[in-house]
Amino acid sequence: MSYYFTILSPTDTPIFNIAFGTSKGGGDGIARFRFPDTAQYMNQFIIHSSLDIVEEAQWTNGGMYLKHVDTYPPAAAYISAFLTPSGARFLLLHQPPQLPSGNASLGSSSLLGASGSTTRTSSSSVAANPTSPQTEEAVRQFMNEIYESYVKSAMSPFYKQGMEIRSPVFRSKVTAAGKKWL
Amino acid sequence: MTSPGDAAPVKPPPSFSPGVARVPSKSRYPDESESVHSIDPELADARSGSSPTPPLSATTAELPIRTSSPHARSVRSSTPQLARSSLGSPFDGRFDGSEDIRSLVIRAFSPTIAIHASDDTDQLTVSGKVVIRDSVGSSRAWEDYGVRFVDLKGFGRAPAGRESGRESTLTQMEEILDQELDTRERLLGASIPSKDALGVPVASPLWKLLLRQILSANPAAPHETFCHPVASVIAISSRNTAPLEALRQLYAESSTGAKRLPDWVHQEYLRYYVLVHDEERDDITESTKLYDQMKRHFGLHCHLLRLRSSQCVVTDDDSVQVPTCEWLSPQEQLSGAGEAETLVDLGTDGIPYLFESDATAIRAFIRELVVQSVIPFMENRVAVWNDQIASRRRGISGRFMSVGRRFMTFGAGARGSGTGAAGGSGNYDPTNNNYSPDTPEAILRKMADFSFMLRDWKLSASTYEMIQSDFKNDKAWGYHAGANEMCAVSMLLNPLAMSTKIKLENIDQMFENACYSYLTRCSDVPHALRSLTLAVELLKSRGGSATESAARWAMRVMDYGLVGPIGQILFTERVSACYASKIPVTGAKWGGRRRKAGMWSILAADQWLKAGKATLASACLEEAERLYGDVLEADGVFPMPEMQGFAENLRRAVKVEYLGARGFDTFDEPASEDPDTEETSERLEKIDKRNHRRSLIGLPAQLDAGTLNMTSGTRDPENPPNDDFERA
Repeated sequence: MSYYFTILSPTDTPIFNIAFGTSKGGGDGIARFRFPDTAQYMNQFIIHSSLDIVEEAQWTNGGMYLKHVDTYPPAAAYISAFLTPSGARFLLLHQPPQLPSGNASLGSSSLLGASGSTTRTSSSSVAANPTSPQTEEAVRQFMNEIYESYVKSAMSPFYKQGMEIRSPVFRSKVTAAGKKWL
Repeated sequence: MTSPGDAAPVKPPPSFSPGVARVPSKSRYPDESESVHSIDPELADARSGSSPTPPLSATTAELPIRTSSPHARSVRSSTPQLARSSLGSPFDGRFDGSEDIRSLVIRAFSPTIAIHASDDTDQLTVSGKVVIRDSVGSSRAWEDYGVRFVDLKGFGRAPAGRESGRESTLTQMEEILDQELDTRERLLGASIPSKDALGVPVASPLWKLLLRQILSANPAAPHETFCHPVASVIAISSRNTAPLEALRQLYAESSTGAKRLPDWVHQEYLRYYVLVHDEERDDITESTKLYDQMKRHFGLHCHLLRLRSSQCVVTDDDSVQVPTCEWLSPQEQLSGAGEAETLVDLGTDGIPYLFESDATAIRAFIRELVVQSVIPFMENRVAVWNDQIASRRRGISGRFMSVGRRFMTFGAGARGSGTGAAGGSGNYDPTNNNYSPDTPEAILRKMADFSFMLRDWKLSASTYEMIQSDFKNDKAWGYHAGANEMCAVSMLLNPLAMSTKIKLENIDQMFENACYSYLTRCSDVPHALRSLTLAVELLKSRGGSATESAARWAMRVMDYGLVGPIGQILFTERVSACYASKIPVTGAKWGGRRRKAGMWSILAADQWLKAGKATLASACLEEAERLYGDVLEADGVFPMPEMQGFAENLRRAVKVEYLGARGFDTFDEPASEDPDTEETSERLEKIDKRNHRRSLIGLPAQLDAGTLNMTSGTRDPENPPNDDFERA
């Protein structure tokens, strides 16, 4: 499972990005997306396009954690979202590892192309099924933990609303949360 | 001739234009077919007899040619333009587009009429051969009711060629698209893409082309009866010395002789007799006499068609161009294209012409045929079958019976009859994969198809639903898939029903079944593609949340790899169109799918570019910009750095290619581009201070060391590279 986590400001500008892989089930914590290295922008396109759904879901769902909101089928990318009171949104893109036989039919679309070599087997329940209740729960824990760190960072006197978060401490906390829950 | 008692008589005129027969008539190719009618003034088309195409080429049995209805025409005319970037407001696009496409879909499933002519008539009709087109408003105010004509002789050959034909169909489709692209590009060579020349092009012409290909690509198959003839026109000419004999013989041939349809086609169809009168060589009084005689013999299903036999040339005063058929299958289109090219070499334009008087006669004939004979015949059949078979099945006792039957066949299977799997009704023949046409299952399917063609969608949906489970029990997967597909389609076409979510789920389920059965159990790619495409189009035209399903199905098509590379791109565009047609709830900012639509447009642009079609890529790009217009803070500026980078590179690449293709020197290009880039970069700076941008901006700047360089130069110091050291 590979993850791409973004915090978007209320104007959709990203204020924090990180890509990481699962650490469960023997994972090494390195992200391996299905896109070729030259097409990493796809993560951002997918996240950006899921804002359509997030905007809709935020009015129909009472919680801050919106769970799994959107899917991008060609790359099997799943998006989970978390809202904060200040209007910033946490979006997590997760992509299960590619099955060996999986993606052959996508061949003609280079954008969606992927390499079978990145396949890793992961036995943890989180990786196996991105829409399972266990995954939802793990993502919720992850989001809550980040929310806590985010609030602390945002309260810093040197931080202005909408600025990029460059704190290495925040980054390491996110990494740790990822290791712990995902 | 036709079934017992039913047919309401009509009087038929034959349609053929007499010509000189120099070449073996084309009617012999298996594929000849003709068109559909529309009321508009166009004439029918015949494929010109002299075409060189070898008869064998056609694998497809049908050659459905449909003539163009008024709608179709407009479609056609817009084709030459590259109007694919629909600039229209989303609103227009959505409504017009869907109506248009809906009618295309409806017309794709119209009755087939076989033509069976005596030899002499065949010869008569050389040049303007058969004909056809016309339109008829069916009794219910359907303006675009269409029929398609098929040559009986060719019918049924298809199955033989089917295996080989099947694989190639998709390739052919691809080839046609390719040709079309080339032509279009040539046309556009000099002109600027007409983004708006035509107003609001609704769905791109290329997509329509693909759609038509998909809908007409399927050869007649046992499991659906749309391609099976509903009626057959039997024609003789006034030159025939023994007219009634000839008619009789033709009839016999078609029902028992060499021209007999394959076994799986229901043999009971309407026969319609036509006498072709040659105005220039024969005596009208003779013909009238003969015609009266025919009427006495055959009742009202007769027609006298008066045509001129001389060859019509363009220069004749009243010549009318024979319209081309809208529904050529991919093969025919390819062979047709080849044909046209050869003719061009010879200095002719290859387009057959008809006399206007002939055209009018043909139109009148077809109208009469359809209104007075075919439609009543079909209505009658539906009523009879509904009464005799369907209602029995629907009642309680029917249900009971079918359950009982299922148990009984267990016994039958044990007895070793060998037909039918256990649990099946035994009517299904697993070796040939079909039902014989007399079995209740086959008749019900036919009834459903008839009512579908008559546009009684409610009846057809309920019938399909009913027989679908029978097919499943019999493991008749082709039939099962077909019934599921058509059930979903007729539910979607029915304007009154629906819109509840549950129904939408049912429909998704049905398409799912259909495409699973087609693909996995029958490996029938063309049909699977057709059903998925129908799903996309019809769900899209439903609007609302159905558009998301539509987009999902389109992605599914790409995922299965059912179409070739160009097809993939077109489907990518279609996904975008599906999302774009979901508009926000009034008054709310949310609920639309602009970002998704924009993303897919950009992806399509990228793919077009990779395919070397810069013009199309730039159209897609424009579309993407329009879509993104509402959601982005500033024009053309994405909030996310990598997206922005990609989009900029794409824009630049498209521009370079585009100008290059038009013969501009690419080196000039940066100059024109500068203002843009510069502006953009400034805007970018405001929005996002990250250093990503710089590299992008750098590119054009190098080309023309202008202001840009300075800008970026001064900017640098202000923005030292981000080292993640801000604060802890």
